[in-house]
Amino acid sequence: MLKPILYFSVAGLMLAAGCSKSAPSTSGGGSTSAPGSTPTFSLAWSEYPSWSVFGVAHEKGIIDGEEGKLGPIEEKWGVDIVLKEADYDTCLTYFGSSETDAVCITNMDTLAPSLSRDAVAILPTSTSVGADACIAVGIDSLDGLKGKPTYGLEMSVSQYCFERNLELQGKTIADYPFKNMDPGAAAQAMQSNQADIESIMVWNPFVMQTLRTRDGAKVIFDSSTIPEEIIDMVVIGKDALAKEGGEAFAGAIVEAFYEVNKMMADSTTGDDTLIAIGQKFSSLSLEEMKEVVKQTRFYGTPEAALALLTSEKFQNETMPQVSSFCESHGIVASKPVIGFNKDDAQFNFTTKFIEAAKAK
Amino acid sequence: MTYALEIKDVSHWFGTNKVLNNLNLQIAHGQIVAVVGPSGCGKSTLLRAIFGTHPPKAGQILADNEPVTKPCRSVGIVYQHYTLYDFLTAKENVAFGLKLDQTNLPFRLFQFPKWRQLQRQHFAQSIEFLNRVGLSHAIDKYPHEMSGGMCQRVAIAQAMIMKPKILLLDEPFGALDESTRTDLQLLLLRFYQENLEAKRAGQTAPHTILIVTHELNEALYVSDRVVGLSQYHADGANGATIVYDRPSPIFHPDDPRDFDLFLSQREELRKVVFDPESKKRHEEFVTFWNEHADLQAIAMQKA
Amino acid sequence: MIRQPIQLRTRIVISVLSILAMFVAYEAIAMRQSRINPKQTVVPGITSLWDGIQKMTTPNRRGETWLVEDVKATYGRLFLGLGLGIGLSIIIGVAMGAYPWVEAFFVPAVSFFAKIPPTAMLAVYFVLFGTKTEMFVAMVGLSVFFTLAQSIYQVAKKDVSDHSVFKAYSLGATSPEVIYEVLWKQILPRVIESIRLQIGPAMVFLIAAEYVVGDVGIGYRIRIQSRILNMNVVYIYLVMLGGSGLLMDWSLTQLRRKLCPWFGE
Repeated sequence: MLKPILYFSVAGLMLAAGCSKSAPSTSGGGSTSAPGSTPTFSLAWSEYPSWSVFGVAHEKGIIDGEEGKLGPIEEKWGVDIVLKEADYDTCLTYFGSSETDAVCITNMDTLAPSLSRDAVAILPTSTSVGADACIAVGIDSLDGLKGKPTYGLEMSVSQYCFERNLELQGKTIADYPFKNMDPGAAAQAMQSNQADIESIMVWNPFVMQTLRTRDGAKVIFDSSTIPEEIIDMVVIGKDALAKEGGEAFAGAIVEAFYEVNKMMADSTTGDDTLIAIGQKFSSLSLEEMKEVVKQTRFYGTPEAALALLTSEKFQNETMPQVSSFCESHGIVASKPVIGFNKDDAQFNFTTKFIEAAKAK
Repeated sequence: MTYALEIKDVSHWFGTNKVLNNLNLQIAHGQIVAVVGPSGCGKSTLLRAIFGTHPPKAGQILADNEPVTKPCRSVGIVYQHYTLYDFLTAKENVAFGLKLDQTNLPFRLFQFPKWRQLQRQHFAQSIEFLNRVGLSHAIDKYPHEMSGGMCQRVAIAQAMIMKPKILLLDEPFGALDESTRTDLQLLLLRFYQENLEAKRAGQTAPHTILIVTHELNEALYVSDRVVGLSQYHADGANGATIVYDRPSPIFHPDDPRDFDLFLSQREELRKVVFDPESKKRHEEFVTFWNEHADLQAIAMQKA
Repeated sequence: MIRQPIQLRTRIVISVLSILAMFVAYEAIAMRQSRINPKQTVVPGITSLWDGIQKMTTPNRRGETWLVEDVKATYGRLFLGLGLGIGLSIIIGVAMGAYPWVEAFFVPAVSFFAKIPPTAMLAVYFVLFGTKTEMFVAMVGLSVFFTLAQSIYQVAKKDVSDHSVFKAYSLGATSPEVIYEVLWKQILPRVIESIRLQIGPAMVFLIAAEYVVGDVGIGYRIRIQSRILNMNVVYIYLVMLGGSGLLMDWSLTQLRRKLCPWFGE
């Protein structure tokens, strides 16, 4: 509960001081010290199934997230990856204020910072297929929800998912008020049987927690109706990518991601890896993690990622739609130029590093 | 005869420790009585009992024939550490009792014009009292703007304006420098003269004062009667009682301030009240009322 | 030399310089950030803060401007909460200072909760007060109540000697009069001082709560706008918070000087 407040003040202090802070990172083994010439790049990540992968990569010794230490992949690419774990909102601020080179972020949330810092999406990590849900108590259907406020984070994927579902069902958005509340707080309010919180729109782990804890809580709709619209990704600042070693950094991130995915796919190490991710992601059990991974579908192979990025629908429907949503809701003052493998776009999706990983 | 203060068979103890043992004392209107005693003899306990905040466990205390069981209008007090009200000026401090005693909040709120009128009378009275204690120049000063001696004068005026049956002074000049101390002692002597004048005119004397002091010269100088409270006596070691009660020399404010005049009485006091070896029966030096009539006659002549 | 006095004119000049220095430092940080990334909005230059002001003062769908909406919501919650908290803490605090049995009853709870930041109990506040105005008011009110009741009670006990109280009785006061005419008047300046010191924390707690559950208000706006990097709006709000804090501080100091001329500075 205190987390956003804490991060808010920490972020504020950092901005005021104009200094960078090194993020806490967990210990990992089997690494060597980086020679002075190795370029250093940072990746800010927050707890989320397909992003906790990087925390796991550090724990398993695939990369070493501490500054000055190299894991095998980092040695191979000749870059030092520094992992910065933070709250999601703080990660957004990190990226916008150039406090980090790369960030784990959704497609929608990249639009606003891309206006002030050109962004390159190098890797889609997962898509929400039910991980964002509208949960109500005492309301059985969408019609019953009419006129009643739904609580969730404004100007976020929650609101996007909410309005997209209404659209798909042919409802008038104005009939369904969406009120701002921190998703953690909204979930907690519903779980503590707050009478005035009848409906919430939140993401995982709050969806699972709320369904498990509150009797009679029911999913009215979720993001499974809009697969491949909410994309979790890794984004690098174009400035960072252009630096010496920037491309190696991107390559190393992509390879580390697929390495962990291979471990998950392998029947001997799969459960262990999932448990490791689960511990990073709000201490969920193996069974719950299996459910989470279904709702947060990983792009676990280069082929899956390429299929998304090259799909006609994603390029010509989804992204323009997301962009319009952001503009109409005041998230961006004007639409950024979105491109696919177009280096001069403000927000460029590149397949370069995925293809490189596939070619190996 | 009614007394300004009457202490009847008063005893007090804390646990098994007896502090006051069967005290009896009567103070007539117009007397200025000094109470002296070794430290730890129970002077403060006695004073608190008379003031009413800590009534004695046995016996009775009467002010003008009314029992005292809690602080009340009949008994006024001036503490050593001037407890003026910081938020009131000298004038307001002195008028404070009149306001508390004669009005209440609803009256002051809902009959505001009447209250203002009454307040003007209070202030006039207050200024008159401040003049009497020599503070006409400081009526609008706050306590923190005044010296210790000035504060103590205000505190005396504050208590006296209420015309208590008896005014208790608890080491009132202990914290003051020598010359201020002398000034205030003279103030008490003037009060005594006012008492004598009132008696001559056939009225009740206005000021009855009990002053507790550790300074023997002061006790003998300002009072007309000295009472010694002591745990040193031949009645068994059980608690303090009155072991000395005799008249003291009466000074006129204009008399020379010559402490040698009561040298022998001072020595007597020291021996009877303060000497741990003193094992006299306590009645031996308690002779005030026997000598009282003669003394008063002398005092009247002298005045 | 330490404590060497300075002239008023020197003092004013130095203060003005200090304010200027803040602007210069801000602009320097903004320029530094802009050198890294010319399009950055995280530390906008002073000129682009003007855009923030315009954003705040443009009517939205409901026909209200952010500024009016948020100020109404936040300060409404603040003043209502402060009013209730201060009122209650004066009653309880003075009663605790006056009556040992009231003191004995409240001391454990008051001194315990005074040490717990209310934001840490946000979940408890949800359960007790919901997530609407009542919750914000309760958060402000209770955060003020516990700390203020504690300090009022301590002042009422320490600053008002037994002697002053007993003497008031001997001057003819009744118990209510002792409370109002002696206790209350003696502690009033310190109560005002304590209130002054409590406004800051109360505001912090309120903003933090709005940050999490608000759908209108300064805390809400700061969160949403900083999430999408509209820092020019955020900074204007911060300046506003600072300014209003200074104003409240100053007003209470003036009030104290007016009501308690005897208290000194």
